[in-house]
Amino acid sequence: MTDIPGHLPHRYPFLLVDRVLEREPGVRVLAEKLVTFGEPYLQGHFEGRPLVPGVLLLEMLAQAGGFLEAESLHGAAIFLAGVQDARFKAPAFPGDRLRLEVSAEGSFGGLMKVKGTVRCEDRDLCTATLLVKRL
Amino acid sequence: MSDLKLRVKEMIIERLKLEDMAPDDIEDGAPLFGDGLGLDSIDALELVLGIEQVFGVKIEDEAAGLKAFKSVQALTDFIAEHAKA
Repeated sequence: MTDIPGHLPHRYPFLLVDRVLEREPGVRVLAEKLVTFGEPYLQGHFEGRPLVPGVLLLEMLAQAGGFLEAESLHGAAIFLAGVQDARFKAPAFPGDRLRLEVSAEGSFGGLMKVKGTVRCEDRDLCTATLLVKRL
Repeated sequence: MSDLKLRVKEMIIERLKLEDMAPDDIEDGAPLFGDGLGLDSIDALELVLGIEQVFGVKIEDEAAGLKAFKSVQALTDFIAEHAKA
């Protein structure tokens, strides 16, 4: 799936998924984010030493989690409601092809719990469990 | 206290990380949400997942949740009823 803006409500500079490679609604999603020097947040994080902020790795996982929904989220809003057991093991740099893997743990009352991993060349950069709320 | 009720209380404490509470501190009839234990919607999701994992009982929707989460007693009854089926 390449029509990412057709599915998520996020837009520049905060659309952090480039491609969805595999997708099983309600079960798991494998997506990609390609990091470039052109990312606006790398201008100041940090000057002369660009690396992707850890919180944005979490946001990438949350956005990838949006593709667990069968329907397009266009117009709907999803919010991050909780973060559990987040681990940042290595930084992501310009040029990195990030693989975003998320799997659904369960949902109740409009809340969904997902487990996610950001990977680059078979190295885990970040693992976390996220709670996402759809409004 | 019945064995099942004790296990329900232990599951609540473990799943919601209520580390300073013991099973005896949770009243059987007190509401889980709002005035009783004061749980929120995130806790509800954790409980739904915990109940499924520990007792093999699914809480399918919010209507079932409303019934099951009235109190520890109601939750114990709900689990006992659905575990058999």
